[in-house]
Amino acid sequence: MVLSRVWYAVLGLLLAVGAFVLFMAEGMYNRVGARSMGEALNSDSQVVSWYLGNDARQRSAMLIEFALHPDIAKYLAKSSDSESKVPEDAKDKVGAALRAVNDKIPTDFSFDAVFAVDQYGRVVAHTGYEQASGLEDFELGGYPVVADALHGFIRDDTLVLDRIYRVVTRPVEVEAGSAPAGAIMGARIIDDKFARELSSRTGAAVAFYTKGERVAAGSPEGFDKSQLDQIITDLPNATGDADYTEKGRSSIRTIGGAGLGVQYSRLPGEAWELGAGFAVGRLPAHVDGPLGFFKQADDKDKKRVPVILVALIAIGAMGVGFVFSIFEHSRPLWIFRREAGRLAKGQADQLAPSKFRGIYRKIAIDLNDGIDQVAAKGGVPRRAADLKQVLGDIPAEPQMSAFSFPGDSVPQPSSASEPEAPAPLPSAPSSPRLPKVPPRLGAQAQPAQQPAAPGAQPPFDSTLPSMEASPAAAPRPPPPRRSGADASPTPPPAGANEWRQVYEDFVALKKQCGENVDGFTYEKFEQTLKKNRDALVARHGASRVKFSVYVKDGKAALKASPIKG
Amino acid sequence: MTRTKAHRVALGAAVAFLVSGAPGLAQAAKIKGKVAGWRGLLNPVWDEARDPKKHGYTFREVVPTVRAEYRALFPNIPKELCIVALAAGKQAPQRTAILIRVGGGRTTPVTIVVPPQTQLQFLNTDPFKHRLYGVGVQTFQVGETVKGAHRDWAVPGPGSFEIRDEAAPSLRTWVIGEPNVAAIAYPSLKGEFQLTLPADGSYTVQAYFAGKKVGPAVPVEVKGRDVDLKVPIKVAEEKKAKKKDDKEKDEDKSDDDKDKK
Repeated sequence: MVLSRVWYAVLGLLLAVGAFVLFMAEGMYNRVGARSMGEALNSDSQVVSWYLGNDARQRSAMLIEFALHPDIAKYLAKSSDSESKVPEDAKDKVGAALRAVNDKIPTDFSFDAVFAVDQYGRVVAHTGYEQASGLEDFELGGYPVVADALHGFIRDDTLVLDRIYRVVTRPVEVEAGSAPAGAIMGARIIDDKFARELSSRTGAAVAFYTKGERVAAGSPEGFDKSQLDQIITDLPNATGDADYTEKGRSSIRTIGGAGLGVQYSRLPGEAWELGAGFAVGRLPAHVDGPLGFFKQADDKDKKRVPVILVALIAIGAMGVGFVFSIFEHSRPLWIFRREAGRLAKGQADQLAPSKFRGIYRKIAIDLNDGIDQVAAKGGVPRRAADLKQVLGDIPAEPQMSAFSFPGDSVPQPSSASEPEAPAPLPSAPSSPRLPKVPPRLGAQAQPAQQPAAPGAQPPFDSTLPSMEASPAAAPRPPPPRRSGADASPTPPPAGANEWRQVYEDFVALKKQCGENVDGFTYEKFEQTLKKNRDALVARHGASRVKFSVYVKDGKAALKASPIKG
Repeated sequence: MTRTKAHRVALGAAVAFLVSGAPGLAQAAKIKGKVAGWRGLLNPVWDEARDPKKHGYTFREVVPTVRAEYRALFPNIPKELCIVALAAGKQAPQRTAILIRVGGGRTTPVTIVVPPQTQLQFLNTDPFKHRLYGVGVQTFQVGETVKGAHRDWAVPGPGSFEIRDEAAPSLRTWVIGEPNVAAIAYPSLKGEFQLTLPADGSYTVQAYFAGKKVGPAVPVEVKGRDVDLKVPIKVAEEKKAKKKDDKEKDEDKSDDDKDKK
């Protein structure tokens, strides 16, 4: 059992190691996930910033279309020459030109609103900014982005007006070298549509905020953008972040129960000072417990698992376990059962310890010792067998006369109703008396106490368990007991040789027991055996009867075992 | 109110003074003049905004076809350069409020000089709200002004007061309380101005920009007739402006190089 136990220990250790590794892997996975999330958030913030800048540059290039439109330049110059008011025809012409040009711009770079501003900063015309429709004094000249354009610069800005606008401006010139006639400003509203486009192009989940409110959000597929609503509660804390204040980008923050990672960035332009910005968010790669790996694994991960190797490991482990259990449990048990069977059948008089291993050897030795102990005591005290129950009516002259030897004082067999009484042997060979037949095996009859008188014929011990068994049933002869070498049952010899051997064993045993064997001839012995055999064969339908010798109460005794088949 | 009307109100503040202090328009004398060197002035808001450290933009590039002299961030003088006629004695504040439009990232005018206790009316001409406040001014705390609404404030005393807007960082207005202000005017884009005086007398013409005096104080004696200042009032050095422009050009170039890198 050592190997099996070691194997169980190995399996247990492997299981523990597996659990340990899983728990450790969970921690490592979550830690790496958090770190990766931080790096990814940094990357997202950077990418979004680049996107905003690059998008502004590309859109500023679109402003050339407006600046080169002859009506726009011409009428902006006209408006700039009119100090008191914007000429009405300038409004119309410039407005029409703005709409015409804006319609031609590719959708990806189109503007939500376009403004044409004269040198005074007055908005001569605009399109897409309906909030200002009807405002006679609408102007934009105070914004640095417009002022820069009026002074010959192209640049971008983020204005926080009624909404957040990403704007680009450029000057409009009537002729090269002259002062700009005005400026064109294109604006893109930062709304959900803008955020969605940004998200689809950068892969970042992004939300824009201003004045403590989320104003737009977009997220890639698989990310619930409503998660970004949580930034509202965190914004007051985030804006106090030293990195956010100084560098414009906060450290990585974790908010919400799902561990949403967020990084806040300030938007460039006027929005920088107004507290407007954007937040990128990511959910960490996280597993809830060791079994969480199964939930996280996708089909690709599962395909990467060497299933065959895993199956082989499992089969191998099971095989090793089976082999160990067979070698250390099943096989010894089988051998023990086989040997016990042999013992039960009388094919062996004791268990051979050399055939067993481990605990079975010890058990065999103990059993042998037990058998010897019982045998040394002359057998377990049992009730006298009722031979009549086994053999039926016994003739008045039981054929046990073979056990009556001349000169022997043979005690009369005791009655079956008196099991404890010594069973007297038949006094004469001609009138043998069968001993009481013991009860059936299941009754565990006690052998009759038959103390033989000195010089008496050896009793025919019919109280043996083998005699108690039904001949039809599997014979269950009790293990013949011998003291020392004599305890082994006589192997079933055939015919006279067998009986001769039994006779010799019997005589020898008698001598060992100090009994008188004078006049105890084989012929008499044989006649007695024959009669008993015939009687037993007739009663039980046995094919033969095996006789063996043993010591009982310090005297030699015979045991008759009918054998069927 | 139409844009023309508002414009007139703003730019005609001097006229309003004249009306309040003079017996009649027909008898008012004028001081006509011109400012020079104003391209040497630098709008402080725009100047700050071009500093990359302010994070005001992701890119800012010059348009090479625009000459360098125009690329200097000189102010829009019709709104920002206030020409003041200072009388010898204290002047009474105007009876009606002076309208100041709030819109487009600034106010119109940007700089105004008035006698203390003058009422100013800030009218929001933008389609969204503003949150004006006076920097360090107890009587002008942060307050919301929605579209089309106005907010009144009286200049508490002599001195310079800066008005800002929490909703528009570029908005910076300077109100100067000056007891002797008799008339104010704003020049055209060409630098020409005209002060309408309430009465004959000795005056000093002074330009104010971004809350401070710029250029020399020019004494003028008015005696029943209009006075033409033959010498332009130089508010800044043109050469200096050119140097600044060159400096800016260099800075822009270095900014471009940084961007390319």
